[in-house]
Amino acid sequence: MSGHISPTARQEAGAAAAPAGVALTLLRSLVHRIAVFGFLLVLMSVLPRLLPGDTLDVLMDSDVQRELADDDLHALRDRLGFGGSLAEQVGRDLLRLLRGDLGYSLLHGAPVRRLLAEALPWTGLLIAAATPVFLGLGIMLGVEAGRQPGSRADRVLTAGMSLLASIPPFVTAIALLLVFAILCPVLPAGGAEPLFPAATPWLRAFEIARHAVLPALALALHEVVRYFFVLRGEAAVLSHRAFVVNARSRGISGWRERRDYFSRNLLPVICARLGQSVATLFTASLFVEVIFAYPGIGSLTYQAVLDRDYALLQGAIAVLAALVLSLNWLFDALTETLARRG
Amino acid sequence: MSAPVYSDHATERARPRLTLQLLGIVALSTLVLLLLIATLGNLIPPYLTSTETLQPPSQRHWLGTNDIGQSVMTGLLRAAPVTIGLALATAALALLIGITMAGLAVMFPKVGRVIVLHLTDMAEIVPSILLLLLLSAWHQPGVIEIIPLMALLTWHDDVRILRSVLLREMGRENITLTRHMGARWPYLLLHHILPAILPTLTGLYLQNVVQATMRVAGLAFLGLTAADLLTWGSMLQDAMGYLHTPAWTWLLLPPAFCLTGFLLLLMALDQQQARRSSHRQGSAP
Repeated sequence: MSGHISPTARQEAGAAAAPAGVALTLLRSLVHRIAVFGFLLVLMSVLPRLLPGDTLDVLMDSDVQRELADDDLHALRDRLGFGGSLAEQVGRDLLRLLRGDLGYSLLHGAPVRRLLAEALPWTGLLIAAATPVFLGLGIMLGVEAGRQPGSRADRVLTAGMSLLASIPPFVTAIALLLVFAILCPVLPAGGAEPLFPAATPWLRAFEIARHAVLPALALALHEVVRYFFVLRGEAAVLSHRAFVVNARSRGISGWRERRDYFSRNLLPVICARLGQSVATLFTASLFVEVIFAYPGIGSLTYQAVLDRDYALLQGAIAVLAALVLSLNWLFDALTETLARRG
Repeated sequence: MSAPVYSDHATERARPRLTLQLLGIVALSTLVLLLLIATLGNLIPPYLTSTETLQPPSQRHWLGTNDIGQSVMTGLLRAAPVTIGLALATAALALLIGITMAGLAVMFPKVGRVIVLHLTDMAEIVPSILLLLLLSAWHQPGVIEIIPLMALLTWHDDVRILRSVLLREMGRENITLTRHMGARWPYLLLHHILPAILPTLTGLYLQNVVQATMRVAGLAFLGLTAADLLTWGSMLQDAMGYLHTPAWTWLLLPPAFCLTGFLLLLMALDQQQARRSSHRQGSAP
C-alpha cells in the first residue's frame, strides 16, 4: 500500500498518513485483545475456586466412596494441583497455561490438549462447509434485494428474511433436525460419522459429508440472515451512487452489474462483518453441535460445563478465546487495510 | 403510540410536553402491565405435576402435558411474563448503561471519551458465549443474575450510536441559544435533547429487546439458567428429549411459536419505528 503512487495530492497525504494510522489502530486493538484474554484467563481460573468443593470432591463423589484419612486427602489434593491458597492456585494455573500446558481432564482420562485437538477439526469442518454457503447466499440475495430498493424482489426477499430472522437460530436447527432426520430420515440425526466408519477412504469421506450437511446448513442459515440485511443496506446505498447510475445508463446490467459494480464494492463490508462473525460463528456452532450431537469443540465445552470438568473447560475457553480474538483481529486488520484503499 | 413526536415538526414548542406525556404513558403502562401480571399470576392455574404424563392435547389439557404431567398451556402462560419481562428489563438496563457511557464520553471529551471508547472496544470483543459458559458452570443464573449479566454483555452495541446522536444534538443551534439564555443542563436534557434522541432510543431499545430475548432463550435452551426458572426457552429444552416421539408436536411447537411470534412482533415494531423516524429525518433537511 505504501508503494502505491497516488495521482492526487489529497490521496498522497492520505497514503502517507495511513501506514502509521493503521499500525496504531492495529496495535491498540491488539492491546485490547490481550487485556480481554487476560481477564478471561484470570476469571476462569478464579471462578471455579470460589465454589465449595473441587474436582477431587467430584471424583470422590462419583467413584465408590473410599475411606481416606485427612492426611491422604491432603496429599492427593496437593498431587493433583488443588492445594495452596487461591492466589497460589491461580498463579500456578496461569503459568501452566502460558507454558502451553492445558492440563489433564480427569473425567475424560485424557490430556485436554488431545481432547481439543480431536474436537477442533470437526468444528472447523462445519464452519468451513457453512462459510461459502452463507457468504454466497448472503451476497447474492443481498445484492438482488438492494440493487433496486423497494422493488418486488426486494420486498419478497426482505419479508422472507425478516421472518427467518425472527426465528431463534436454535429453533431453525431443531426444525432442520426434525424434518430431515426424524420425520423423513434422509440424513443422519447426529454424530459426525457412523459408529463403525467405512473402510475405504472415499466411502468414509462420503459418510462424513452426509453427517455434516444438516449442521452446516443450520449454521449457514443462522448467518445468512445477518449478512443479508447488512449487504442489502449497503447495496441500496450503492444503487444511488453516481458510478452505478452511470453504468446503468450505459446499459450495463445483469450479471456484470451485480458482480463488478455491487459485489466488488461490498468487499470491505463483508470483511468487517467476517471479523465480528468469528465469535458468533463459534456461538452458533455450539448450539448446532449440541442439537446435532456433533463431536466438535462446542459440544465438548458444553459437556464440560455440565460435568463441571474445570480443567477441560479452562483449556477449551483459553484456546477458543485465543482463536476468536486473534481471528477477529486478523479480519480487523484486513478490513482496515481494505478501507484505507478506498 | 408516539406518533405526535414525529409529526409535529412545525409545532416545535409542543414537543417537550408531549415527551413528558409519552414518558408518563410508558411508565403507567408498565405499571399496569406489572399489576396485570401479578393478578394473572394468581388466575393462571398452578403448574403442578400429575400422573397424566405426555398426554396429547385434549379438552382437559388444551396443549397436552409434558413428561411430568404438567399442562403445557399453563406452562406457556406462566413462562410468558418471565420471558418477556426478562427481555424488557435486560434491554432497558443495557440501554441505561449505554446511555450513561455515551453521556460520560460526551460530557468529558478528553478522559471520559478515551476510557469509554476503550471499554466499548473491549466489551465488543469479549466472546460472550465463553463468559456465559464459564459463569453458568460456576453458578446457574436466576432472574436476578440474568438481567445484569446480559446487560453487561450487550450495552456496547448502543454506545457509539448514542454518542454520535448526543454529539449531533448538542451541537445544534437550539441548544446553544437556550444555553445563552441561561438554561441549565437538566432543562436542556429534558426539553431539547431527550425529545430529539427519543426515536433513536426507541429503536435501540427494541433491538436490545430482540437481542435479549434471543440470548436468554438460548441460555435457557442450553439448560444453563437456574433450574426453577420457567421460560419459553427452557420449555424448548425440555422438549428436546421427545423429538423421536409424537410428543414433540405439543411440547416443542407451542413454545417455539410463542418465541417466534414475540420476536416477529418486536421486529415489526422496530421496522415501523425506523420507517417513521426516517420519514421525520427525510423531512428535516
